[in-house]
Amino acid sequence: MRFRWAIYGLLLLLAYHPVSAQQTLAEREGSRIETIRQISPSVVCVMASSGEGGGSGVLISSDGLCISNYHVTSGSGNFMKCGLNDGRVYDAVIMGIDPTGDVALIQLLGRTDFATAVPGNSDFVRAGDEVMALGNPFLLASDFSPTVTWGIVSGVHRYQYPANTFLEYTDCIQIDASINPGNSGGPLFDISGKWIGINGRASFEKRGRVHSGAAYAISVNQVLRFVDHLRAGLIVDHGRTDFTVETGDNDEVQVSQVSELSEAWRRGLRPGAVLLTFAGRSLTSANDFQNILGTWPEGTRLPYSWRDEGGVHSATVRLSPLHSFTKAPELPAERRPPRPERMPEDSGELSPTEDQLPEEIQKLFVQKEGFCNYYFNEQQRAQLLNPLRTRTQPVEAYASTWQIRFQQEGSTSATNGELAISPETVGLRIGDSAWLQQVDNPKTDEEPAAMSGLLIAMNQLRRLFSTDATALDEITAFGTTVHLPLGKTCRVLLSRQGIRTGRWYFDAAESLPIAVDLDFETGQDEIRLIFENWKDWNNVIFPERIGIVNATTEEVSWLRVTDAARQN
Amino acid sequence: MVRILTGVMLLLTISASRPCSAQTETPAERPDPQKVIVKLFGAGVGNLDSYGTGVLVSKTGHVITVANHLVSTGFLTAVTWNGRRYAAETIATSSEFDVALLKLKSDPADEFSFTDLAQAKDVDQGTPVLAYSNMFRVAAGNEPVSVVHAVISASIPLEASQGRWKFPLKSPVWLIDAITNNSGAAGGLLVDESGAPVGLIGREIRHASSRTWVNYAVPMTVLKPVVTAMLEGRQTVTPTRSTESTPMLTDQEITTRYGLTLLPGVVERTPAYVDAIVPESPAARAGFRRGDLILLIGDAVITSVTDVQKRMAEFRPGQKMSFTVDRDQQLQPLELTAGQGGTAGANKP
Repeated sequence: MRFRWAIYGLLLLLAYHPVSAQQTLAEREGSRIETIRQISPSVVCVMASSGEGGGSGVLISSDGLCISNYHVTSGSGNFMKCGLNDGRVYDAVIMGIDPTGDVALIQLLGRTDFATAVPGNSDFVRAGDEVMALGNPFLLASDFSPTVTWGIVSGVHRYQYPANTFLEYTDCIQIDASINPGNSGGPLFDISGKWIGINGRASFEKRGRVHSGAAYAISVNQVLRFVDHLRAGLIVDHGRTDFTVETGDNDEVQVSQVSELSEAWRRGLRPGAVLLTFAGRSLTSANDFQNILGTWPEGTRLPYSWRDEGGVHSATVRLSPLHSFTKAPELPAERRPPRPERMPEDSGELSPTEDQLPEEIQKLFVQKEGFCNYYFNEQQRAQLLNPLRTRTQPVEAYASTWQIRFQQEGSTSATNGELAISPETVGLRIGDSAWLQQVDNPKTDEEPAAMSGLLIAMNQLRRLFSTDATALDEITAFGTTVHLPLGKTCRVLLSRQGIRTGRWYFDAAESLPIAVDLDFETGQDEIRLIFENWKDWNNVIFPERIGIVNATTEEVSWLRVTDAARQN
Repeated sequence: MVRILTGVMLLLTISASRPCSAQTETPAERPDPQKVIVKLFGAGVGNLDSYGTGVLVSKTGHVITVANHLVSTGFLTAVTWNGRRYAAETIATSSEFDVALLKLKSDPADEFSFTDLAQAKDVDQGTPVLAYSNMFRVAAGNEPVSVVHAVISASIPLEASQGRWKFPLKSPVWLIDAITNNSGAAGGLLVDESGAPVGLIGREIRHASSRTWVNYAVPMTVLKPVVTAMLEGRQTVTPTRSTESTPMLTDQEITTRYGLTLLPGVVERTPAYVDAIVPESPAARAGFRRGDLILLIGDAVITSVTDVQKRMAEFRPGQKMSFTVDRDQQLQPLELTAGQGGTAGANKP
């Protein structure tokens, strides 16, 4: 019998296992310490060149791209000083800003092997997850080793109103880790060391501007949607739809107003309809809608679906600009970053002015209305435009006319057609019908309804290929976006000529655009074309197939090119 | 031997399926804390918040919260986890325990997830807990409320106050190491790691000696008997604590000094409606009108004519008294300077 009790005792010991529990705790601590050691080198202390004010940031590429808050970089000038946990100070230049989302991208200079943070997927973050916030609260660390605070996720999909400012935190992560002035712009990591957000805001109240148990981080997924726009030196805008919604009964989101000039109206969306999904997420409240909308850059085309008496419908919509800032907007004083405890008032040594910077750094900033730093836009544009020109230049002669013969695919009797594209006019013939568009004065009835805008788009393509400076008013790099309906992530060049705005989509595999969406007239649907297999036909660079996206069904109908030639 | 082996096998099975059998209780019996929390919205007055938190304690929609200004001013709306909105009625308060019991005006068929107070648990110093509340009104509709992590720092009797109001409870409360002393957090739920109800997050008050904001929760085991009594209808409203020594102005004094006549205080809690104003009196100059309902004097919540009589007696001549009144459903701030009287024509009898 004693034997039996001994076994019971042993088993009880096994069941409780206090030793292993302690080991687990020690292991957890050990792995946390190791994680902090690994992620700390990517954490940046951002300071204005003047030495006034500062905040935090996080490195996201080995060549020094660093994300911070707009309210940190705003007011710190075009150049700043950044400290890393190696104790060294690096020069940095502003690249792009997202004032509404409170995000800024800066470039640290002087190395090509910066440590970087590894992004996680913030859509998978849940309340209760352990998190660590790294940064420089109160600008404490004189050696720039970041302060680490630990906590849990208190809530996800939070919405924080743009209180007294334009800074709007949508779909953000609420945490209870200590966030104080100076933490702004710094990274939030999950417990495994994946970067999941940018700490930028907190609920401050009766205690003053110190941690009060509720802080908010911009989700990394949102940041990454804007990062290529920021790389292009832009003042990136957030988007709006030309319809509004309100929370209706039974967790439904009801459409309240629709602009009659909008794409949504033309798709059939009317007040009273129930919005079911937006950008692939289901909705239960107007807050949900606002939350999702706020995480996308202006100009993005997004899918949505709704229900009305006619049943369930789906379509896509392009987001219109929300604020259209033409220069970096000013922030009220209370949103500006803190000043360090010890101000270098007694010596001017820590405050180099911009003109004291070496010339090779100064040339990294180019001022232009509508841009944050035009230098980087020129760089990005050249990356797309130069290979395109290399391909088209040897054969392109702008003054000539292109003659394209095609067949309409899919129709029962293959209909033959012809396009004649010159700089001033574009002609189209399908079967026995013919149309002629004056480029300067286009008329929408001067082409088949299903191809509305095709002729203008063909002319815009010629202008894109042209090196004539007057062919287009402006060509700018516009970050990356997912092309619909192709579903491919593409880099975008934006062209403007008068009221015409073209978005040219580039795939890494092809130096010529794989698609264009052309907005050519207010109150009209864009013409959306897909280009397949570019080739050189007797000195005309033209695709083998052109797809026309139907705005209502999102289906593509194809024209197969059978011949192309140039007439001088 | 066979019996021993069977016993061993049985134990093995148990220990395998319940690795931490000693500490963990089956959480499946307890609802998700988020589902028992309601967001409360009411009439914000002065600089006090118009929102708070409550905890469902019955299947039929009884909610407990702190008996603070939000409860006293009435007109409460409760929003449950799924975004449903209900009017909420105060059915009992205990000023002794600083707790109020509300009832959601729900359909009789509605059933709610609730915290079973029978499972209220006392915990030790050092126990990790989670605090659920709608602090800062971060959540409005069907969004989950905020959850913060904390450790029980101490169990101590609390000497704290908010303006002239003194924390009434004599038995110890939980002090926690997270900041829960925030707008709207009062009435939130403190649970241990198994989800067992541990405490009701307290109101925004400062410690009497250090004057720092105290993060505390009233133990659920302390609240259990009084809430149970309220639920059973044995206790409705406990009167405010003994106030014999409190000086009071009489109706007549208020009228003669300020030209302000309130509804006669015929019942214990006559609402503080303004019945008449003496023309050109201080009250008239301050902008009082007939029909105004006095909600606040300074930060003190006014629920009856008696409260006005007590509160106005506290001011010394020359001090400014800030009133908040409800006029046609709008909150109106008014200011009156305390004086010796005589302005309205009559002297103190």
